Amino acid sequence: MTVLPGLALADGPQLVATRTSDFVGIGGLGDAATLMLSGPTAESGAEELAGHTMRWGHLPDFDGAGVRALLRDSHLDGRGGGGFPLIRKVETARLSPGRPVLIINASESEPASRKDRTLCRYRPHLVLDGASLLARSLGVVDVVIHTHRGAAAPSGALSTAIAYRVAARLTDPTWRLSEGPDRYVSGESSAVAGFVEGGEARPRFTTQPLAVQGPSGRPTVVSNAETVAQLAVMSRVGPVAWNALGASSSPGPRLVTLMGAVAHPGEVLELTGPGTIGDLLTADGVVAPPAAVLVGGFAGTWIPGGVAWQTPFNRAALGSMEASPGCGLIGVLPHAACGLNETARIVRYLAGESAGQCGTCVAGLPRLADSMAMLARGSLRGRGVRKMTALADTILGSGACGHPDAVVGLFHSTLEVFHDDVVRHLAGSPCRGSDHPPVLHVPDAVVGPLIDASSWI
Amino acid sequence: MSAIVNIDPTLCRGHAICALFFSDGVELDQWGFGRVVDGTVDSARLLKRARRAAAACPNGALIVVDDPTGPDGTGPSIDSA
Repeated sequence: MTVLPGLALADGPQLVATRTSDFVGIGGLGDAATLMLSGPTAESGAEELAGHTMRWGHLPDFDGAGVRALLRDSHLDGRGGGGFPLIRKVETARLSPGRPVLIINASESEPASRKDRTLCRYRPHLVLDGASLLARSLGVVDVVIHTHRGAAAPSGALSTAIAYRVAARLTDPTWRLSEGPDRYVSGESSAVAGFVEGGEARPRFTTQPLAVQGPSGRPTVVSNAETVAQLAVMSRVGPVAWNALGASSSPGPRLVTLMGAVAHPGEVLELTGPGTIGDLLTADGVVAPPAAVLVGGFAGTWIPGGVAWQTPFNRAALGSMEASPGCGLIGVLPHAACGLNETARIVRYLAGESAGQCGTCVAGLPRLADSMAMLARGSLRGRGVRKMTALADTILGSGACGHPDAVVGLFHSTLEVFHDDVVRHLAGSPCRGSDHPPVLHVPDAVVGPLIDASSWI
Repeated sequence: MSAIVNIDPTLCRGHAICALFFSDGVELDQWGFGRVVDGTVDSARLLKRARRAAAACPNGALIVVDDPTGPDGTGPSIDSA
């Protein structure tokens, strides 16, 4: 067990294990130790300001330079999917002309991910504390918190939490809540920034980073909800102790959502320490390595189950196998199911969730989905695979956002990890998993692209 | 004077007119959507073609901007600011 002096403060956070139907914290510190998900269980609903302050203390009185020092010393990386160091966004925005815009992205458009809404719903003050600190680092006095519309949206918990903070006269920025459409690409940072400025919630073609110039013409920092909640934690425990709660080359604790063949799909786990994917799945009740694991989101990377089981869930370890923690999603494929079937449904879903504005998504992704469906059915032959690979090469790098490239990444990892299945499917042999019901559930209400391509003429 | 040439894929509708005027700098995919071969153009001859192609694109998808970080530019780059 590692002793972390920064966490041993008597008046610091309590480190307790929490397990409820909604979220569970497991620790890599010997005894279960969790940070963000410690405290009241999910049954108690949102943690109130009084309880939050009692457990974590008041928000430390850092000025802008102090917060930037925290970000520099901790190497806090973005938790929305891109993993971009937050300090680089902040410093770029500060060097760029204009008063910066700060948007906290809690839209969590990855359909199976639950971590950001879990934080907003149960620990809203951690998100708001972190947003408040980030606002100081940028010298801005107003912050937009962006969520998706819908029944699952956490905006109610956030607005209640904000009301209590205003009544308590905390040294906070002015808060504005924004709700956008619940679509896959609508959570992309340029889509969020454009929507907040009054435009449509679709990705923008940009020749320079948002932190240099966003849709408003001002430098725009879009930061994920978990990222700023981590900043709130770090401001209490210190960057060194916070950093040590991750792996040596991958800083800090991490929130994870499980999907697929697990005991509790949608369960959110908090990983502190150098835990492996096997540790996370064991915490859920999975007893043996599955057939394969999809890491990072729907448009993520497949890893063979035996390898994944031993792989630490951090940026460095996953990066060595061309995967990334992404938004923290782990999808589990059981031995009885077919990875090609699962991927075909995911690719079809992702093709339908394009914004419909770039040729590569409109013309390319549906064809890739068709070919994947044929491969899954066993009606594709070798020539079809070559055509499909050429199509993927054409798609790569030609969209305004990362959506088409991410689908191509999923496609390549599918062909690699399920190579033996591909061979069987191409030979037309029946696949053991062909009749297995879907494991990784994609939303079924695909309503078509945001923009109707028939308006193109 | 060097310039940066981009095709905004959200505006490109595959008319492929850019490839007529700026065949050295644009390649077309199987559907006719253009992609810039090299984003930085610094010869006067190529730059003239790029500007003509930009003017001809019915959707304004081909974008030519003077490169502020280039040899003749005056604006600061992010790295040097």
